[in-house]
Amino acid sequence: MMGKRRKWLPCLFLFISLIVAGCSSDETGGEENGGEAKGENAEEQVLNIANDQEPAGLDPHKTPAHSSIRIYSQIYEGLLTFDENMEVKGQLATDWEQPDDTSYVFHLVEGVKFHNGREMNADDVVYSFERILNEETASHIASYFSNVEKVEAEDDYTVKFTLSEPDATFLSYLTNASAVVVPKEVVEENEDLQQTAVGTGPFKLEEWVPDNHVTLVKNEDYYIDDQPKLDEVVYNTMKEESSRLSAIRTGEVDLTTLSAKSASLLQDQDGVNIMDYQSLEYSYVGFNVDKEPFNNEKVRQALSLATDRQSIAEIVWDGDAVVSGPVAPSMGDWAIDVSKEELYQRNLDKAKELLAEAGYPDGFKTVITTASTYPDMVDTAQLLQQQWKEIGVQAEINQIEWGEYIDTWSNTSADVLVGRNGSGTDPDRSLNYFFNTEGSANVWNFSNEDYDNLVEKGRKTLDKTERKEIYAQAQEQIINLSPNLFLVSPMNYVAVRDSVEGFTPYPHNGEEIVEVYKK
Amino acid sequence: MYAYIVRRLLMLVPVLFGVSVFIFVIMRIVPGDVAMTILGTDATPESLRQLREDFGLNLPIYQQYFEWMAGVLTGDFGESMRTGKEVLPDILNRFKLTFELTLISAVISWVIAIPLGIIAAIKRNSKADFGVRLISLLGVSVPNFALATVLILVLALFFSYSPPVGYVGFFADPATNLQIMILPSIVLGTAMAGAVMRMTRSSILEVLRQDFIRTIRAKGARERVVIFQHALRNAMIPILTIIGMQIGTLLGGTVIIEQIFSLPGLGQLVLTAITQRDFTVVQGAVLFIAFVFVLINLLVDLLYSYLDPRITYK
Repeated sequence: MMGKRRKWLPCLFLFISLIVAGCSSDETGGEENGGEAKGENAEEQVLNIANDQEPAGLDPHKTPAHSSIRIYSQIYEGLLTFDENMEVKGQLATDWEQPDDTSYVFHLVEGVKFHNGREMNADDVVYSFERILNEETASHIASYFSNVEKVEAEDDYTVKFTLSEPDATFLSYLTNASAVVVPKEVVEENEDLQQTAVGTGPFKLEEWVPDNHVTLVKNEDYYIDDQPKLDEVVYNTMKEESSRLSAIRTGEVDLTTLSAKSASLLQDQDGVNIMDYQSLEYSYVGFNVDKEPFNNEKVRQALSLATDRQSIAEIVWDGDAVVSGPVAPSMGDWAIDVSKEELYQRNLDKAKELLAEAGYPDGFKTVITTASTYPDMVDTAQLLQQQWKEIGVQAEINQIEWGEYIDTWSNTSADVLVGRNGSGTDPDRSLNYFFNTEGSANVWNFSNEDYDNLVEKGRKTLDKTERKEIYAQAQEQIINLSPNLFLVSPMNYVAVRDSVEGFTPYPHNGEEIVEVYKK
Repeated sequence: MYAYIVRRLLMLVPVLFGVSVFIFVIMRIVPGDVAMTILGTDATPESLRQLREDFGLNLPIYQQYFEWMAGVLTGDFGESMRTGKEVLPDILNRFKLTFELTLISAVISWVIAIPLGIIAAIKRNSKADFGVRLISLLGVSVPNFALATVLILVLALFFSYSPPVGYVGFFADPATNLQIMILPSIVLGTAMAGAVMRMTRSSILEVLRQDFIRTIRAKGARERVVIFQHALRNAMIPILTIIGMQIGTLLGGTVIIEQIFSLPGLGQLVLTAITQRDFTVVQGAVLFIAFVFVLINLLVDLLYSYLDPRITYK
């Protein structure tokens, strides 16, 4: 009996080991490619980038995650793009004209090939925008093009867009990394483009190994001569900042984004350059303006006066952030100079006065909700808690995880929410989209008729100077009405090995690598 | 014995059914919406509605469950809501890494823990014993994320070394694979070793006090024979229990260590899926982990009878 028992147990172990070994051998094919992707050939120009999140999918029309955008924006191209000064320029369109206020005609670059070898033409542009606007696609950028009535191919290289009303945002939204041209046959074959990628861009998708890396290789048929210079780009998923930090120190990766605190740790590191640029983001406090006491404008203004934005910049962001209004300062002259705004001058007496006028002479109790996922948001909430205490507002902090936070944000189920917003590439985004009564992202229940009229007029005004004036007024108004308190816009940091040449990050594009090469 | 194994395997059915209902309901109760986390601030009511419909979230919850279960029973765990990847192949693929990590960590912990535990027991209250107890206390109490971060930073700062970036499978490139796996395995192995060391020490001490050991010694057996052939074997049962639990836990994914060392294992999969409310992935992975855990427990139970023939299962 005993002997028998002893014999079958090792057999069981052997059996399990064999199953596991059998499973493991399946993966060799894929991972051998992975091994090569690391660039064993010394001649090859391979750029290793650390990606702080795993891409959520590669369909440009469906995936707004930054970890995805940074990859698919190297694979796909749109009609237009921004130059380094954030001026619109052609990408797949050579030029364009505007026969009247509501139509745009684009002339396409000829001879552009998709990565599957087929030539891109006007029908592809029409298909791509129809796909974006099709409700079934559930595209995150559908709202940007809600004014588009018709997209037609006039000939193989000419596309006409007809809008329902004049829309000054149209061209700048066409530069969006998601407003790109995709081939119909690939979408139809795969149902969507989450797992595959066929664009016209400088790099082609080679492989994606989940939670490990995405490898892109040079598009040899790229229509711009001498671009790209790299043979291969590898995006390594490295969620932990300390791992990214040590990998850039030792040269395991060539490029990584970093927090301000880590950037200062790398300041004196040989072989690593730190580059910074002003981001298009700003931090904010949002109020549910339907709820007491935040339905009272004076309470919100009092909290604005009690907020010391400069100390938030200094403590939360180590001084590497600038005080911001609703339009981030990196948007250039679209943004107003907020430093002179009355509500930005910390004044506790005035704040107390306003609170008393609103019927809260002794302050009140509230809860600040924020996402535990982002330390800067938690730090900001803690500073606000201290600062507001000085006018008698007793705040508790409620930290929630990201999935719940997004839910809380969209359902306005918190009275006070600390968060961060992207300014977008057009002021319409931060002013209309977030604060118009009908704005898709107006989760604050905020509504003001004058303001609505102003931002709607801004959207329809095609004259740039006039438009700027309108948005300057709108910014003043929204700062005074304070449905949100706009705090600071942080710097972004990129650490780059000194073997990398030709890399310059911009606010609207932190990762332009088409001209990058390695020494 | 075989009847026992079959019975235990049959018991998997109600356990997994319970787990599946529990995780299915929990995922739908917690606040958070996969459509919203995918679309973010760009969401419009239409696109949210469309996405929820695509995922079948508009159906009544029991119908969602039955549809999912019908798939699971035929080996189709569905597709990730976020990435569209098939869930089961993804889980199995990541399990290979987690399995390797667990195996190496376990071996490291046994190599450290069992000899040291024995030494501590034999030389009770000596300096060596105190040393071992201190080490095991450290192993148990230093959080592994702290040890991992310190290890990474020290190696990078003082030795300009960081493990190769990007996981490569053992069979594709053993040398690179081991370079990648060794640091996380050391971190996990030392943490496991702490508990195993303590258990080895106390269990051997207990056995050494028993009459049969005195009899064996009286018969003139050498101390080495007493310890390794008699005491250790009899002391193994509680040690095995601890090891079994540790391995079961590790096979369920070592979230923090995988995250710190950028390893695409089961833990990362589950964590990402939970934060993004990717229901199908969380459900599939939890079910799989429960399955593995139950199997490991069964294996440990069977090993008991191997080590101690007095334990029999009918």
